[in-house]
Amino acid sequence: MAAAGLELRGVRKTYGSLVAVNDLDMAVRPGEVFGFVGSNGAGKTTTMRIVLGTLIPDRGDVLWDGSPIGFEVRRRIGYMPEERGLYPKMRIGEQLMYLAELHGATRAAASGAVTRLLERFQLKERVRDELQKLSHGNQQRVQLAAALVFDPLMLVLDEPFAGLDPEALDSMSDVLRERAQSGIPVIFSSHQLDVVERICDRVGIIQKGRLVACGTIDELRGGGPKQIWVDAPAAPQGWTGTLRGARVVRSDGSRVLIELDASTDDQEVLRAALATGPVREFGPYLPSLLDVFREAMIESTDSVAS
Amino acid sequence: MGGLGGEALHTVFLIARREFLTRVRSRFFLIGTIVLLVLVAGYIVLQALVINRATTTVKVGFVGAAQTMAQPLRAAVTGGSVTVQTQVVQSVSSGEDQVRSGDLDVLISGDPTAPKVEFKDQLDPTVAAALDGLVKQVAFEQALVGSGVDPATIEAKVAAAGFQPVALDPNAAQRSQRIVVGIFVAALLFTALQLYGGFVASGVVEEKANRIVEIVLSTVRPRQLLFGKVVGIGLVGFVQLVLLGAVALVAVMKTQVISVSGVGVTAVLGGLLWFVLGFLFYALIYAAGASTVSRQEDLGAVSAPISFLIVGPYVAFFWVVANPDNPIGVALSMLPPFAPVMMPARMATGDAQAWQVVLAVLLMLAAISGMNALAARIYSNSVLRIGSRVRLAEAWRGRT
Repeated sequence: MAAAGLELRGVRKTYGSLVAVNDLDMAVRPGEVFGFVGSNGAGKTTTMRIVLGTLIPDRGDVLWDGSPIGFEVRRRIGYMPEERGLYPKMRIGEQLMYLAELHGATRAAASGAVTRLLERFQLKERVRDELQKLSHGNQQRVQLAAALVFDPLMLVLDEPFAGLDPEALDSMSDVLRERAQSGIPVIFSSHQLDVVERICDRVGIIQKGRLVACGTIDELRGGGPKQIWVDAPAAPQGWTGTLRGARVVRSDGSRVLIELDASTDDQEVLRAALATGPVREFGPYLPSLLDVFREAMIESTDSVAS
Repeated sequence: MGGLGGEALHTVFLIARREFLTRVRSRFFLIGTIVLLVLVAGYIVLQALVINRATTTVKVGFVGAAQTMAQPLRAAVTGGSVTVQTQVVQSVSSGEDQVRSGDLDVLISGDPTAPKVEFKDQLDPTVAAALDGLVKQVAFEQALVGSGVDPATIEAKVAAAGFQPVALDPNAAQRSQRIVVGIFVAALLFTALQLYGGFVASGVVEEKANRIVEIVLSTVRPRQLLFGKVVGIGLVGFVQLVLLGAVALVAVMKTQVISVSGVGVTAVLGGLLWFVLGFLFYALIYAAGASTVSRQEDLGAVSAPISFLIVGPYVAFFWVVANPDNPIGVALSMLPPFAPVMMPARMATGDAQAWQVVLAVLLMLAAISGMNALAARIYSNSVLRIGSRVRLAEAWRGRT
């Protein structure tokens, strides 16, 4: 089935005995912000380089709109490598013009895009400054501008939020969302799970070169067993003991977190709680992405160990 | 295919343009070029001054009847390292004052057959010999007239007599000039190839160290980046050498330091041709070597052996120029690693025959195309591998 956007099928890359990417399948659709999460050395950067074409996989396919991705598509991918890189002694305006033209933009289009982006990033007055004269935050902005300046077909950003202050982080995430809304796939990797949770439509968790979990934030957070916080201050110790298909997984003062079996009706739990006296809180608990991430790490480690 | 080729060419052009403009606009280039031009022009002018100082001018004043000797004396002293300037002086006493003050070197007065010759302390030997000859000739003519013979017939016979000049080594003086020019050309090429090859090497490492190579290579093929860089930097060197050659030629023409015609033009054109060929060859080696390291600190270990390749022919040239007919030297000057320094120098010295130049160019072109394939492969396989030095065997085999 030909799907729009980017798709990886059975991509594998090894370095000697190390399997960096292990039969990876994933897809990023146009208009979607896809967060790529994993610990260091999990294979995020290798996967991105395979998408960009600077690394060749041992096997597997990278597809664009359903057919093998070619040079003409690849050269229009906006890429921000984890190790930032631009010419320190080149003026930022000229530098962006140069990169835009290298990516196939005409001079006129490049010049318009440079003006718009520098205005957007409040760097208009610095157009003739050498990159090295800019602050770290502004250099990051220029780096992002370098990935956007040629009107990319897709954005691939490796750790774009690393080392940003909160304000820069907000403006960076705004830009990513905007670009996705204009209809291109946006894929980025990050360690900052709170940011990922806030701006991603879908998240893929990669561990040892394998995608161990993938879905929308809600799918990932709701994927585990159903849990409910109940606060019944007048209830005696062990009041939950009589409930069937439910057990306490955590308690916090008078509050308890109860995990239910799939067949258990949460309204029964509520009735049992009300029977003990007043109920101040009763609500479902969704684990944070961090919890999901930890859980996924543990599970995959177990499965690798077994 | 045509469209793709044009697109690829455009990419190479964009890269070359950036390399060229970044370097040409830098203060380093501007100041370096001006200093170089001033040095070369200054050197040539200095040489000219040294040569001119070797010719001396003797100012001779004549009083009264002695004036008839002025023209014959000037004629007798031309062509050597001494020139005579003559002038008429009103009286012996004022002439003597001028000799004492140094305004005149020599004062000649009295009868042309036995003139009085006054000078400060020393009489220039060339002028003395010429005067002696003149005085004796006047005396001889007067004696002939006295004995009733017509001096004109005798003079005609004397004028017709002469010796046959046979030069056994007619170009000896020219050759020494040519050798100086040849060594100059060899030194310049040796310097330029090393300097601009070094720029290519540090440019490659700079892109690796800055990681911009990752961005550029996501849109450009490694060969295009390599070729654009070599062309752009080579063009900077070419422009600098053209300026240098033009200034040197103008200075040589104005000062006439070199009396052999055509040597300057041959040296400049030959030098430029071989800079282009040699630079393509060596820059590719430098780029391939540099692509295996990730930091400027590690570059020295890679550049040093390449530099030896260029220093070798320069040093060997001194032996070749001293033994211009030795077949080993002739053969070396045609072989690719040596030719870029040795062949233009041999062209300047006039030792290189046309067929040798043509053969050397053809061999060089073949070497460049072979090196292009080799360097592109090593460069493509190494330039994205950041970290420790990539071993050449790995770079050749490719992806791990």
